[in-house]
Amino acid sequence: MRYLKEVFSARELLANLTLREIRGKYKRTIFGQLWSLANPLALMLIYTFVFAFIFRVRPDKGDPSGLDVFALWLLCGLLPWTFFANVVNMGLASLVTNSGLIQKVYFTRIVLPLSMVASAAYNWIFEMGVLIIALIIVGAWVLPWIPLVILIMLLLAIFAAGVALMLSIANVYFRDTQYFLTIILQLWMYLTPIIYPSSLVVAQSARVGGLFGTSITVSDIYHLNPMQHFVEVFRNLLYDNRFPDLGEWLVCTGWAVGSIVIGTIVFRRNERNLAETL
Amino acid sequence: MTEIAVQVDHVSKSFRLYHERNQSLKSAIMRGRTSVHEDFWALDDVTFDVPTGSTFGLIGSNGSGKSTLLKCLAKIYFPNKGEITPFGRIAAMLEVGSGFHTELSGRENIFLNGSILGMTKKEVTSKFDEIVEFSGVEQFIDQPVKNYSSGMYVRLGFAIAINVDPDILVVDEVLAVGDAEFQEKCLQKFRDFRTAGKTVILVSHDMGSISTMCDQAAWLRNGQLVVAGPADSTIKAYTDSFSTGSGDPATSGDTEG
Ligand SMILES: Nc1ncnc2c1ncn2[C@@H]1O[C@H](COP(=O)(O)OP(=O)(O)O)[C@@H](O)[C@H]1O
Ligand SMILES: [Mg+2]
Repeated sequence: MRYLKEVFSARELLANLTLREIRGKYKRTIFGQLWSLANPLALMLIYTFVFAFIFRVRPDKGDPSGLDVFALWLLCGLLPWTFFANVVNMGLASLVTNSGLIQKVYFTRIVLPLSMVASAAYNWIFEMGVLIIALIIVGAWVLPWIPLVILIMLLLAIFAAGVALMLSIANVYFRDTQYFLTIILQLWMYLTPIIYPSSLVVAQSARVGGLFGTSITVSDIYHLNPMQHFVEVFRNLLYDNRFPDLGEWLVCTGWAVGSIVIGTIVFRRNERNLAETL
Repeated sequence: MTEIAVQVDHVSKSFRLYHERNQSLKSAIMRGRTSVHEDFWALDDVTFDVPTGSTFGLIGSNGSGKSTLLKCLAKIYFPNKGEITPFGRIAAMLEVGSGFHTELSGRENIFLNGSILGMTKKEVTSKFDEIVEFSGVEQFIDQPVKNYSSGMYVRLGFAIAINVDPDILVVDEVLAVGDAEFQEKCLQKFRDFRTAGKTVILVSHDMGSISTMCDQAAWLRNGQLVVAGPADSTIKAYTDSFSTGSGDPATSGDTEG
């Protein structure tokens, strides 16, 4: 509880570090903030070309929205994913890149990874805003769902923050962590229904049946992935325009709370030793 | 009258000296532990008080533990044993301008650095002019700080830190940079501090400036306190130790390496 107070009293520092990150990033570029859209747009184009045009992946039509636009369907999962990946990548590096600061000045260390979460969130909000406008243009009835979209965005940010806190500490002790992470994020993305619908996995899993003579199916394992649940909720709200299962909400909330609690504990345990370990 | 500003109470701090440091998982797994190390005591049972309102010098050869002590005071390191208790708000200048973002302007960096040092936006705003004035970089305040000369960099950093308005100001060897005019400005600032009844703790290798500025001093040797007390006698004991060769230069030889 006292720790929360300490973090809260450092909110101004958090805001300033976030601004440093945001302002510093696109300084001296002509397109500025527009660059943050470039990456998702490029991914959208290439995935749409490869998976919708070549492989003919056909996700179900939005129900009840009736939407049938692969690129938008893709973005509803891709943008939350790239946000998550950005937070984890930037958060992981935050302590090591700021080692000079940590060794010379006292302040609540946790603001370093948290400022990365905040600056990634800033870009993400911008991207999601553009996506929502695009969805409205093609006739999706998104507006009433926006409060719930904000809620799930918050939950995902909390989940990602927890993971980033744990990994930032791990990276101080083992610099291997960053290389592991690159690989893991790549695998993880393909294990999340971003460029294909999870219904394909469920169908395939039903065909295979229980694994190794047990009743555990591929789909059961597949659903252990928290990002799968997050992406499902985002799609339901944005693309289908319907209320996601209460169960999905509970799973997402559970992951978010678990992650932030463990992340904070791990961070607190180690923050005193940061200056000499770095 | 002699109130205490900082109480250093049996403080010991050890570092792990790694014979084979490998911050990689491979070595950890292969050996089942992260490293082979031995403990090195950078501070060994150091005890003294810094009286409120004094200008306190910390002297000793390189590697004697001065910076380590200041970092313990600034809560950057945590002592293994003992306690170091400041009474009042601390501002530590262990390196000025750390936390500057080189692409951002001087103005933006004043707000950023101020908040890293624990100032609120309101405080920075009210002291903004004073900071700029003291730093003498008015003309360049809207330039990115990467275009600053190293002297300007230090001046701006120092100007911010000194305006945190601490009860206890901690300065580690940072004044060596900056021109004579600026050094004179800093010394004046220290004198103002003292007349305001505030405490300054500083590390310097310039015995001249220590003896003109400080009224109290402590001498550290290989992590141990040799003597703490009035500045003149402490400095004399320290400088005498060179000429008589009583230990210090000889033992510091292997730590400096
Ligand atoms: N983070 C660290 N890890 C290991 N050893 C350290 C660390 N910081 C300081 N030391 C050691 O502690 C001793 C005291 O260093 P320091 O306090 O910087 O000396 P001074 O400031 O008096 O020159 C030195 O021998 C130095 O090598
Ligand atoms: Mg030093």
